[in-house]
Amino acid sequence: MPGRQSRRSVLAAITALPLTGAVGACSTSDGNGRSRSTSRTTRITFWSALRGSQEVVDAFNRTHDRIQVDFQQIPSGGQGGYAKLSNAARAGNAPDVATIEYPQVPGFAIDGVARDITSLVSDRLRAKLLPQALGLTTFQGRQYSVPLDVEPMVMHYRTDLFDEYGLEVPRTWDEFAETARTVRRKAGDRRLVLFPTDGAMQFAAYSWQAGAQWFDTRDGAWNVSLADEPTRRVAAYWQRLVDDDVVFMNAVESRQSDAQIGEGLVLTRLSGAWDAGAQMNARPAQKGQWKIAPLPQWDPDRPVVGTHGGSTFAVTKDSKHPEAAMEFIEWQVSHPDALRARLSSGTSSQYPAAPDLVAVGRKAFDRSYYGGQDIYTLFEEQAAAIRDGWVWGPRMTATQRVMQDGFARASGGQGSLIGSVRAAQDGTMPDLKALGLSTTEHST
Amino acid sequence: MTTTAPSHATAASRGAARSGRAVAHGSRKAARRRQLAAAGVLMTPFFLLLLTVFLIPVGTAVGLSFFSDDQPGLGFGPERTVFVGLRSYAAVLTDPTFLSGLGTVALYCLIYIPLMVIGALALALLLDSGVVRLRSWAQLGLFLPHAVPGIIAALIWLYLYTPGISPVIELLGKADITIDFLGVHTVLPSIVNIALWSNLGYNMVVFYAALQAVPREVIEASVVDGAGPVRTALLVKTPLVRSSIVMVAMFTLIWALQLFTEPMLLSQSSPMINSRFSPSMYIYDAAFTRNNYSLAAAASVVLLICTIALSYGVTRWTSRAGSAEEATR
Repeated sequence: MPGRQSRRSVLAAITALPLTGAVGACSTSDGNGRSRSTSRTTRITFWSALRGSQEVVDAFNRTHDRIQVDFQQIPSGGQGGYAKLSNAARAGNAPDVATIEYPQVPGFAIDGVARDITSLVSDRLRAKLLPQALGLTTFQGRQYSVPLDVEPMVMHYRTDLFDEYGLEVPRTWDEFAETARTVRRKAGDRRLVLFPTDGAMQFAAYSWQAGAQWFDTRDGAWNVSLADEPTRRVAAYWQRLVDDDVVFMNAVESRQSDAQIGEGLVLTRLSGAWDAGAQMNARPAQKGQWKIAPLPQWDPDRPVVGTHGGSTFAVTKDSKHPEAAMEFIEWQVSHPDALRARLSSGTSSQYPAAPDLVAVGRKAFDRSYYGGQDIYTLFEEQAAAIRDGWVWGPRMTATQRVMQDGFARASGGQGSLIGSVRAAQDGTMPDLKALGLSTTEHST
Repeated sequence: MTTTAPSHATAASRGAARSGRAVAHGSRKAARRRQLAAAGVLMTPFFLLLLTVFLIPVGTAVGLSFFSDDQPGLGFGPERTVFVGLRSYAAVLTDPTFLSGLGTVALYCLIYIPLMVIGALALALLLDSGVVRLRSWAQLGLFLPHAVPGIIAALIWLYLYTPGISPVIELLGKADITIDFLGVHTVLPSIVNIALWSNLGYNMVVFYAALQAVPREVIEASVVDGAGPVRTALLVKTPLVRSSIVMVAMFTLIWALQLFTEPMLLSQSSPMINSRFSPSMYIYDAAFTRNNYSLAAAASVVLLICTIALSYGVTRWTSRAGSAEEATR
């Protein structure tokens, strides 16, 4: 039979990948006696894809002797990190502490990977955290993870090019569209911004800002309405910019996008606050050319934003030392040393979910790249404007993928942005139903 | 293959019968018992393999598809495994992404299978007719791609298809032809091309072997009757290798329905191939990104049923067509 064997072996190899991860985790946690406590110290395991985590863990281990943390750097969620965590949990050897981004929190909570930590989280810690961030980790009054950072969406822009073309920083989306047309007119090969075809999360942030509510949990059911009125408005807005060829439309995680930023073809980047650090790290040569401004608004009198990115820490169901795990988490999200250690890696501009730490971040962050701009103060104002009440869905990775598949086709001239959003809803519902969840669908 | 198998079997039994007569003095029952024992020993490995690599996995998938870890309402809180009946099947069959995957594979089969069967047969007839010089070299050259593992083949083609690194696209670009092999409309033909490249030589060898078994007298008779080489090939040789054609079509169909490796690799560089492009990719995605094992199991069972039904359909249709043809003769 032609090709049969090779097909099997490929399947086997691919399915084995996550398994080897799980087996590897098994051997580190049991084989080396990790995750087991001696009479004096409790050892816990911690998985994260976040940059600077090793520095944070080292700082923790230096200052603590009762609890010691074994850290393992894992691939980011989309690159296999989430599959690794799911498979480890299935095999019963998930780490004590796992890193989960906000959109994936409900999914891991429903799957029972993230433990209900309501009783473990002290009121003192809860009081330290931004309520909007806490809201994203709490369902039906039960908390499933602890926010580390919260990343309001902001506008990173090229000051030098804005000056060159005599552009003002747009404050509203109308001004933004106008600016986009001006850029197209004055500099044919440059564009104001990229609409990322792999940017369902950016699109979610735009919709969030516009007042959309993709999911809610009223009446004990997942009420899904991806294509609600605000989302349709946002989709129509971007569709016009795309149709008029005044924005780029390609993947942001691509060499093409790297080139667009590196060669100065794109004048702004709309992304979370964290991206300031990523940019510093990726393109040191552009020092002094970038500044950061608030995201354009629909109604400048009542500014609101959504978030893009941001992580939380969960105690998994397999943790044998949930109290120790929680102590480590509390230190990570609220202790100044933790933030200092992370920023010392020079690749992070994380905006902490604990407002008390903002002053620490402001001091520890090297401002020279942004021409001395006090970006933490800007982030602080923007974080306060995060619209409360947003809820992520139970299978966000899948929803995101289906939406992005649609965006990619739309960029190839097939279908529309709003069509992609509807397809994402249609592709999500069967999943939720197969999981046995109560669901309702709204908006078309 | 299928034509020769029964004659072998009858020859073997005839031989056995003859040897049975030779030891006519011995008890017939003992001989029969020995025969049964031999059959048992010879067939045990097959049944063991059938059990371990087919029946148990299928049974597991069917079982998984009827159960789910449930927590009603929003789904938070402790889960327990419950029997959910056909819920996962209902979810799969109402999932537009799964149905579009089935559609994609159907289209793929419609393009790929005819091209493969006709292409391989044409090459085999050419080789058999003696038009081609250096026959064994041509055969080797055509067969060689099949020796390349599917995943390597996909990687090679990925390189040839990706703009910016592909020498083919660069050469075409110099001739002022711009082509995107991984675009909305070109991606499926590109996958068909990879599969053809890999498997054409193999199927050609199958046909060529079958053509070797065509009695020379028949060919000579047709030549004497005044048939040219083309008519001999189409009207005499082709009907005589019908059973091979059916077999190749069937295996190609089964293989095509499981489309996975090529799109999975090409999806790395083409956003036009999504994570649920084919049913097999849907199953992989359901299990490993969506962590929805009962959904994945239900989708697998649906795919298996489609495969069995289509194979059965092909066999029935061809055997009926065959007997109809016989009746008209």
